[in-house]
Amino acid sequence: MDFYLGLIQIIGVHTLLGLSAYCVLLTGQVSLAQAGFFAIGAYVAGMLTVLLHWPLVLALIVSAILGGAMACAVGFPALRVKGLMLVVATAAFGEAVRLFFFNFTYQVQSGAILLGPHGGEGFRQIRYFPEHGWGTLDVVLFIWTIVVLVMAMLWWMDRSRVGAVLRAVGEDELAAQSTGINITAVKVSAMTIGGIIAGIGGGIFAHYTTHIEHIQFGIVLATFAIAYPILGGLSNVFGTLLAVIFIQGLLIEGLRFLGDWRNLLFGGLIVLAMNIRPRGLLDAGVLMTLKRLVSRNGERKGA
Amino acid sequence: MDLLDLIDTIQSIADGVLFGTTYALLGIGFTLIFGVMHKINLSFAAASIGAAYASLLILSAVKAPAVVVFLMAAAAGGVLGGLVYLVGFKFIPLANPLATLMSTVGLLLLIDEIIVHTTAGVPLNYPALFSDVIVPIGPFNLRGDLMFVFVLGCVCMTVLLLLLYRTKLGLATRAVSQQPTASQLCGIGIMRVNILTFVITGVVGGIAGAMTGAAIGMLSPLLSLPLTVKGLIVTVIGGLGSIPGAIVAGLVVGGLENFFQFLRGVSERDLYIMLLLFAFLVFRPGGIFTVAAGRD
Repeated sequence: MDFYLGLIQIIGVHTLLGLSAYCVLLTGQVSLAQAGFFAIGAYVAGMLTVLLHWPLVLALIVSAILGGAMACAVGFPALRVKGLMLVVATAAFGEAVRLFFFNFTYQVQSGAILLGPHGGEGFRQIRYFPEHGWGTLDVVLFIWTIVVLVMAMLWWMDRSRVGAVLRAVGEDELAAQSTGINITAVKVSAMTIGGIIAGIGGGIFAHYTTHIEHIQFGIVLATFAIAYPILGGLSNVFGTLLAVIFIQGLLIEGLRFLGDWRNLLFGGLIVLAMNIRPRGLLDAGVLMTLKRLVSRNGERKGA
Repeated sequence: MDLLDLIDTIQSIADGVLFGTTYALLGIGFTLIFGVMHKINLSFAAASIGAAYASLLILSAVKAPAVVVFLMAAAAGGVLGGLVYLVGFKFIPLANPLATLMSTVGLLLLIDEIIVHTTAGVPLNYPALFSDVIVPIGPFNLRGDLMFVFVLGCVCMTVLLLLLYRTKLGLATRAVSQQPTASQLCGIGIMRVNILTFVITGVVGGIAGAMTGAAIGMLSPLLSLPLTVKGLIVTVIGGLGSIPGAIVAGLVVGGLENFFQFLRGVSERDLYIMLLLFAFLVFRPGGIFTVAAGRD
């Protein structure tokens, strides 16, 4: 049972990571910096609860703000460039953050042990949950409350004018600009929202794994972050959730019985999925079919 | 800084520049594919390492002198390049740049995993040529294996430049990268040019992979991600689509990397390369050889 609860925790945190990339992808930008904001969130939240004994929610708020501020700061120079240049710039930022934490040591003596991040060895003993008597189920509920809140907020944003503006920039920048949209402002705000979500996700990640190190936040995590929304489709937030379940639940955990072959299948299945469904698993066509099915059932019930 | 430090510094920069030809070749590969397809092929560096592995596999089956390994790597790289095009690009509609980005990420993971699977994750020794030769020039020593890598890289670049600027195929490639529709109207088969570009960049990548193996002395699947990042950085610093830019940027990145490693240690050196990249993105987003671009 604990295994499945753990899996649900992982899915929740990775959904947050995917959603943070989703915001940026809506404006047509590919950002590999999400792992960097995730790392900042993780380290900041961990240091606040471990070294300063702050309550978790407060620490998460601070890491969200810092993630957002960092994203905003990165957004301005990085968003002057497009396409490949932006991919490289953001990937470089992510790597720079990782390397910063690789070289970052700040430890405080607490009783017999040293607490705090220690360069390449990572940051151990982030024991907020066990110290405050949170069971696995409590943690699951806490994570998913946040995930649902974030998804609801993005869902609402998608349906409002903000979402329309974001998608307009994503579809055709020139057209959007000519209708009076300030595209730089839109892109930087999307990046900031993404940074806030990634910061929260990172903060939670640090607390349920209890041990973080720089290598976890490398370029692989960054590609996973953009893989979720692209694989799931950008038509709505549930695509990202579906892709996280597909990758984390099915490909990583579900195929464990295959042993070594699992890893081989993993890359191959992503390639196959992109060849068969280039617009994502949950694209506009599937949504239309789903809607039609639902409405037909509704009619039958009504009749 | 006294004289001895200065000599050491120059020595490390020189070593880095010699190794930088590998980065230059990778940068050229990324730039060429981006030029004709306007797409990023993130699996390029992984395929290059894969080609180097394949050459080792061939060499273990057939007895041959060590020089042959480079030819084998080039051939394997060409085959892999064609395969990458078939699997990751051909069947995905052009209007979905995100889908091809993702499929190349999938290919990157797939190639890495195939390598891990066939070698059980153990790094393999790669035959280095002239590794016992050391050429002393004044107070400096030039390592024979690095010199060989450098010369091979230069030959490879020269051939590539001749191919691009002196043959019909090169003309077609450049035409497609400038204006696909117009070049199609002139009777150039875009599909054919695309496949050939992938094969040619694959050959270049294979040689780069073999050069990396020869310079480091071993091959490991862990090399593919750092090489991807370095190759992309070189592409951007050199300017997208600019081959001379990629060459110069590759040498500069190689030299500076070793310089920072000498000054600040191996764990911090990449940090400064990233900062260099940011400086370029902010002040010269068009790369080394373009006039400073205005804001958009």
